[in-house]
Amino acid sequence: MADQGGSQHGIARTSRVRTEEQRRQDVEKIAKYRDLDERVRKELSQKRYTPETFQLTSKLLQLNPEYYTVWNARRRLLIYGLFSKPSAGSSPSTALPSSSLTATTTTSSDASSSSLSTATPPAPDPPRAGKSGTTADEGDGSPEQAEESKKAEQDNDLELIKQELGFTIPLLLASPKCYWIWSYRLWILQQAIQRLPIPIARRIWEEELGLASKMLIKDRRNFHAWGYRRHVVEQLESPELGGTSLVESEFKYTTEMIKVDLSNFSAWHNRSKLIPRLLDERKADDTARETFLNEEFGQIFEAINVGPEDQSLWYYHHFLMLNLVSPVGHPTIAPALTRETRITYVIREIEQIKELLEDYDDVQLIYEALIDYTLFLCQFLERKPDGSERAELVSWLDKVKKLDPMRSGRWADLERDCGLVEERPRMMTMAS
Amino acid sequence: MSSSNAGNRPEEVQLATSAHVKYIQSLDTRKDEYDYWLTEHLRLNGLYWGLTALHLLGHPEALPRAETIDFVLSCQHESGGFGAAPGHDAHMLSTVSAVQILAMLDAFDELEKRGRGSLGGRAQIGHYIANLQNRQTGTFAGDEWGEEDTRFLYGAFNALSLLGLLDLVDVDKAVKHIVACANFDGGYGVSPGAESHSGQIFTCVAALAIAGRKDLVDADRLGRWLSERQVPGGGLNGRPEKKEDVCYSWWVLSSLEMIGRTHWIDRDQLIGFILRCQDTEKGGISDRPGDMVDVWHTLFGITGLSLLEYPGLQPVDEVYCMPKSAVERVLSRYKK
Amino acid sequence: MGENILADTLWDVVICGTDLPQCLLALSLSRSDKKVLHIDPNTYYGGSEAALTLQDADEWAARLSTQESNAVFKAPTISRSKSAPNLSTRAYSLALGPQFIHARSELLSQLVSSRAAQQVDFLAVGSFFISKAASDGQRHSMIRIPSTREDVFTTTALSMKAKRALMKFLKFVLNYEGSENADTWKPHAEAPLAQFVEDHFKMDLELRSYIIALTLSIDGKITTQDGLAVIHRHLTSMGVFGPGFAAVYPKWGGLAEIAQVSCRAGAVGGAVYMLGTDIKDTKTVDSISEVELTSGDKIKTRLIVKGNGGAEDGTDISRLVAVIGSSLKALFTATVEGAPIPAVVVVAFPADTLTAADGTANKSPVYLFAHSSDTGECPSGQSVLYLTTSQSPHSKEVLGLALEKFLGSGDEPETPQALYTLCYDQSGGQLPGRQADDLNMVLPSLPLSLAFDDTVLKPVHDAWKHVMGETAVDAEYMTFPERNGGMDDNDDDAYE
Repeated sequence: MADQGGSQHGIARTSRVRTEEQRRQDVEKIAKYRDLDERVRKELSQKRYTPETFQLTSKLLQLNPEYYTVWNARRRLLIYGLFSKPSAGSSPSTALPSSSLTATTTTSSDASSSSLSTATPPAPDPPRAGKSGTTADEGDGSPEQAEESKKAEQDNDLELIKQELGFTIPLLLASPKCYWIWSYRLWILQQAIQRLPIPIARRIWEEELGLASKMLIKDRRNFHAWGYRRHVVEQLESPELGGTSLVESEFKYTTEMIKVDLSNFSAWHNRSKLIPRLLDERKADDTARETFLNEEFGQIFEAINVGPEDQSLWYYHHFLMLNLVSPVGHPTIAPALTRETRITYVIREIEQIKELLEDYDDVQLIYEALIDYTLFLCQFLERKPDGSERAELVSWLDKVKKLDPMRSGRWADLERDCGLVEERPRMMTMAS
Repeated sequence: MSSSNAGNRPEEVQLATSAHVKYIQSLDTRKDEYDYWLTEHLRLNGLYWGLTALHLLGHPEALPRAETIDFVLSCQHESGGFGAAPGHDAHMLSTVSAVQILAMLDAFDELEKRGRGSLGGRAQIGHYIANLQNRQTGTFAGDEWGEEDTRFLYGAFNALSLLGLLDLVDVDKAVKHIVACANFDGGYGVSPGAESHSGQIFTCVAALAIAGRKDLVDADRLGRWLSERQVPGGGLNGRPEKKEDVCYSWWVLSSLEMIGRTHWIDRDQLIGFILRCQDTEKGGISDRPGDMVDVWHTLFGITGLSLLEYPGLQPVDEVYCMPKSAVERVLSRYKK
Repeated sequence: MGENILADTLWDVVICGTDLPQCLLALSLSRSDKKVLHIDPNTYYGGSEAALTLQDADEWAARLSTQESNAVFKAPTISRSKSAPNLSTRAYSLALGPQFIHARSELLSQLVSSRAAQQVDFLAVGSFFISKAASDGQRHSMIRIPSTREDVFTTTALSMKAKRALMKFLKFVLNYEGSENADTWKPHAEAPLAQFVEDHFKMDLELRSYIIALTLSIDGKITTQDGLAVIHRHLTSMGVFGPGFAAVYPKWGGLAEIAQVSCRAGAVGGAVYMLGTDIKDTKTVDSISEVELTSGDKIKTRLIVKGNGGAEDGTDISRLVAVIGSSLKALFTATVEGAPIPAVVVVAFPADTLTAADGTANKSPVYLFAHSSDTGECPSGQSVLYLTTSQSPHSKEVLGLALEKFLGSGDEPETPQALYTLCYDQSGGQLPGRQADDLNMVLPSLPLSLAFDDTVLKPVHDAWKHVMGETAVDAEYMTFPERNGGMDDNDDDAYE
């Protein structure tokens, strides 16, 4: 259904007629690609989980990072060939996740309810005994030997994990929106938690924040990278990695990203998600919460002052306003504000926004905000707009209709609803 | 609805129906193009995109039915899941496409006869999909390796309801998960905490629609956000301050349709934008005017036009992204 | 190089001088089959754009003082701090005419498509500052000039209202060629930009000084038309190569490095290079120039390309180059997340902010480029300052004052000191170039601007067309494939 990477984005349409030379080159490339594909399939069908087969999958994925079956094959190659082995007892053949390339297609049904979240570690990985299959079978080693072999296994696994993290970076840089690479990388990181001592695993995860930052410098809105960042942070905060909260530094990161680009709604969004936790963890009292809300209002207004035509900024302003007029039903910044204070703040915002009209008299979003917030105020006061408010609403709506004929249907609905605001309480509530 | 008539347009911006049909028919004959091989992991999805477009264009027979069914069934594993092509691992995305194709072709009886796995037929597919539900959070993984995303949740609901097997999964839990994905702007993200995104909004709202829980959507707030996706030029973008793209003609518009707010955007301007993205000569639709076409954008251009009641197109179902007639036919089996 | 090759070859072109335009011509011809002889009377590359070691600079100054007249450079003076007598001459690379290059400059596109860019390290040019006298009139402080929406958002130096005025202007500039905006400024195209922004954007003196500083206008009197174009270039270049910067500066001496890299490409392509060699005499025989070189060699060529040797009627400026015994670390900081550490920052002293001993204030702004040691122009722990202003009876004094104010404006406990200073006047070319004919072409010199001006690229392109004759295909100009034709290496280093 959704974009899985096969679609063309932003590539200029060219003549689709190829020259004879281009056709010949294509045929050659196809032959090479298919030959490689065949070899990978053959090796895997014979269960040759060797470094050589592994190399072949590298080549294939470099040609086609969207080939998810090969990413899966790579996981199997690691589990059954290259990572240190589970001990006897868990039989690899039955635990083998289904692979079409190997044509042994039995899936353990439990395997599929796996998740990357900490709550449900991936099931497909056989439980680790901390010993490689071979050494475990080779008799009754001393505790020192066991310790040593465990160390050797971890070194082996660490090396592989590092190699895989390195392998995916150029692919991610080339295809920053390829779901499969991101998810494979997370799987590898999960292996680090399962196979390595916690401090080492933690260091590996910590470096991922750098990768996320790097990817977000290249594309500040890449939602894969933002999602990845949130996931990495969650892991780094988890007890599993001996973590502590990163909410302060992540909050600061959103500030920095906003300073780079005010339009970066991804950063504003993340900010809105971090705030409730931030205040909780700061153990902010009511005064501190009010101060915080005020500072956020101050900052977003500074931003709107220089970019009133920017939707991102108004969405965030809207979010703050909801904290004033819709205090129930969702995490809120300053829950203890009195009714009077709330009203004062709403009126203050409306007055400030009106001042913008001195210099920006043709910016639609300003009028929209004035309409919205005037209605917010009336809803909050549980009354209809009074005479002067009504006159203002009419003039603002007229302006909006002129500035934005595209959404005339919406303005018509709004116009109709304006007189009926108190009968539409759902405008007051949040979905969550 | 806008009062003007979409059919009443200048000559040069008509829908190039026959070119699009030919374009889609040609897709499987391009084996001498490198790209054909690089996109093998999308073969079954591509078939679904092409076939749906053909049905909406009124040319359901343009691809041979029997061969299509044969190909779909050849992608199935013993687990019940489908891979993108023979030899590719099973995945939710290709499994949903397989079910949608079989539903459109009215071929569930073939599935019952020839489907793989010990349970066979619809039951085996239902089993495969149900096993991908995360029983703790209610969301779904794409395959056994555990990537989770509301795309997979929607896919599961879509396919299971077409199979009449929605009761195999914990619908309430999944619904709770969707609610947890909601943001203050009324939209939904890939997972709780993620930014609202038009594609994800479609998957979440459509899943709620299938579960019969559209009441959980904040229609006014979401409707505003969605209507603000229309940019000068008529196209729709997927998130604030991003570029427009034909595929959002589907994600945004279908969501608006599901919450009864399609009239909040400019229908004629969007039609104009989609039509300008056509390659009228060789067929196909691209993301933006002048770019390379592909079958994915071709489908979502056409479904967009269908939702906008562009003349000559079959009505598309805004929840299933299939012809309304096919969805009604399939779902009517399970009613009573 | 054997003499017989020089004499026996019928050269397609002899290029004289290694100023940047001549070098770019050599680069453009480097993959052609043309026979190119490239000579320069100087013993170093780069001509007016050269970057000199301290010894080179000493010799250069000494030579200039003995010359009767040099059309370009005049009145050099050098002073060395007694506290630092032993500077290692080779550790310095002082640019005679430093210019940075905007991200959107066509020069960069050409360097990329010709693959020459691979040989150059480009460094970020960071913030622009205004140096402003504090209320006591003595100490100067520096204020960052906000030139993006995010800067305006962040700055605390402006009121809400002033921010809106500035934003309106920046938005106006971004689309200044649009018909509606053009209608606003075109009637004032030749009027001073400062006047225009005062009348149309209600900017006060301070905001106006910000705007003029952004234009880098040497006399501060830039016209509305030119000023809008320059600021437009600046704004649209912002962020093109990464967050927080609009322009780049080539490591190891700026344009001199581009000149050298271009010559290297020319040499790889088979061009013959002779430094310390000039044209002594020329005569025409059968549509061929027979040239006697100062080396004594006699050669034949179809075409001679020279620079115009500076201009008679250009801008006259005074420059001061100072090596500073401090890294000035606080100056070179990244301003936003993900921005590189800049190697160059720009400080403008607006007109009327520096007062000479006789009470005269500076009529033109002074521009100060601070280069960190990352530029490779000085050893680490030091920095190089390049100051420029319009030539006037007071200009050298004003430059000295600006240097003093700048060095005193930092927060360091000890005021950094100049270890070596070089001061000179320069006259620059805005001339249309000397008369050319079928056998002779003249490339104009670079305008004496502080940022690279793309207008010099066109004459180079024309000269290339002339040399290539019928085989010239414009689409192939400065566009070369990878040399070895092999597979690109897997770029594992792309992520650090």
